[in-house]
Amino acid sequence: MAAGEEQSREYLRRHRLPELLQRLGALLLFHRPERPREFLIQVLERVRAGRRAEGEFPFLMDEANVDAMFSLLDVLGQGFIRPAQYREALKTLGLSTEDLELADDVKITRRVFKKGMRKKMLESWSVY
Amino acid sequence: MAEAEEEDAAPPPPPPAGIYAEERGLFQLLQNMLEELLIHKPDDPIEFMINHLKQNNDDAPRICVLGPPASGKTTVKIPNALWANLIQERLSNVDCIKQGWILEGFPENQEQAWMLQSSGIFPRHVVMLYAPDTVLIERSGGKRLDPLTQEVFHTTFDWPSDPLVQQRLVKPEDLSEQEVSKKLLEYHRNFPDIFHIYQKVLKSINADQPSVDVLSKVLAFVQTRHRSAAPFTPRILFLGPPGSGKSLQAALIAQKYDVINLCCGQLLKEAVADNTKLGELIKPYIDSGCPVPDKLVLKLLTARLSALDCLSNGWVLSGFPRDVEQGKQLQKAQINPNRVFFFHLPHESIMERLSQRRTDPVTGERYHITFRPAPTPEIQARLRQNPRDEEENIEKRLNIYNSNVKALEDFYQDAFYVNADQDPYVIFEFIESCIIKPLPYKKH
Repeated sequence: MAAGEEQSREYLRRHRLPELLQRLGALLLFHRPERPREFLIQVLERVRAGRRAEGEFPFLMDEANVDAMFSLLDVLGQGFIRPAQYREALKTLGLSTEDLELADDVKITRRVFKKGMRKKMLESWSVY
Repeated sequence: MAEAEEEDAAPPPPPPAGIYAEERGLFQLLQNMLEELLIHKPDDPIEFMINHLKQNNDDAPRICVLGPPASGKTTVKIPNALWANLIQERLSNVDCIKQGWILEGFPENQEQAWMLQSSGIFPRHVVMLYAPDTVLIERSGGKRLDPLTQEVFHTTFDWPSDPLVQQRLVKPEDLSEQEVSKKLLEYHRNFPDIFHIYQKVLKSINADQPSVDVLSKVLAFVQTRHRSAAPFTPRILFLGPPGSGKSLQAALIAQKYDVINLCCGQLLKEAVADNTKLGELIKPYIDSGCPVPDKLVLKLLTARLSALDCLSNGWVLSGFPRDVEQGKQLQKAQINPNRVFFFHLPHESIMERLSQRRTDPVTGERYHITFRPAPTPEIQARLRQNPRDEEENIEKRLNIYNSNVKALEDFYQDAFYVNADQDPYVIFEFIESCIIKPLPYKKH
């Protein structure tokens, strides 16, 4: 029995299912669709399409959201934010900050921010 | 007119996330999917999940009906592995997947049960029929078979009405009483293992009753859902005639599960005592003994039920709504209870409980002439009765309740009915089980 359990846990790990289920849950709770089952089917079909490069992954945040997020962080309207803020933003969305090599004094402009966000979001879905 | 139309046209705001998740059974939805993933471990989980969701068979019944051997059905010994394969193949047929299945008489022993499990077949309900061996042996003696239709009848329990059929019946080529006893012994040996394997989803039902009774018990069981780990915030309504024990049960539930105990009448009095703005509006009605208008009551309730403690711990509300109109207002205010209980108590019991209530004006202690008499004659002498509890007034309150209750019962379709004429702890256990378990499957 223990071997079976280990097998199952390994299976979950390999396919990153807990994270996927968490995202599905987040999407459901955010959008609160009338028909949750159909909604999930659509989301998963979009994952499948994104995998085959046939369409967009079901990002929780679209471009307008990312724009808005930058505006929120750039309180003074300077047109850029600090790397620390950038890192925090990524962490808040559950995206990885591992391979982010930025000096502390670099200015992150809106364009860089949006590009970076998009790249990270794409990466996070590509494992599926 | 135009204003009212506009109000109706605007879509209601989406329910808060927690309530949405609970009402749609999101936890169960995702859990079922995860279970299937773990059972089958597909190489392409995304594809698998899409298909699983499209199948939409989470609620399809998966039932095993087990019990002592009727009488030598299978005299040929078929190896367990072959059985398991056969069954798995059949169960993977589209009709089984869509509509669900009932498996009768299998698994018979531990090995077969394990084979089922390793093929990924898990019944959601297992019915274990039992009856004393003597009854079983007697029953198998009375079996008769119609050779034409292969239908099975019984000399005592199930005799066909058609005389033509009656004439045709023969005794099936069955095992002798001795052999039936042997089979029973084997069954008793295997039974504990099976019981152990399926104990979480199993219910033993006494088969030594009229078959309609057995059927109704089995049906009731297979419609229940087992306890789930889904997060659940109780929003409970206790409705019932005065004196039915609502406040007692509410207090018990509140104490055990840490939910907020609210009584409509109490809330009104508190508002007046606290001199709040609403309280001042309510006061004249309370003072003159007139019913407080619904609008005010609802404002008070909505405010209280939206407070943080109610939202996070849940609540139990007694004595409201009193009629369907109030119920609808509650709904409009986006307050949706997820468990509704109707307390049922015969008229005489109500009268007995209420008309004999007394209060000691000195200590404020409450007594009952029959059920909780005052300890000393001194106290007894000074007991007073609340005018509300005078027979005439009880009748009045009851009449109001009775005129509204039928419509309320129709309004709250998924309500539970409590026999309030029992020991309070028996009642409490019943209410508790209704709250803890997810609502049973809806009848279609």
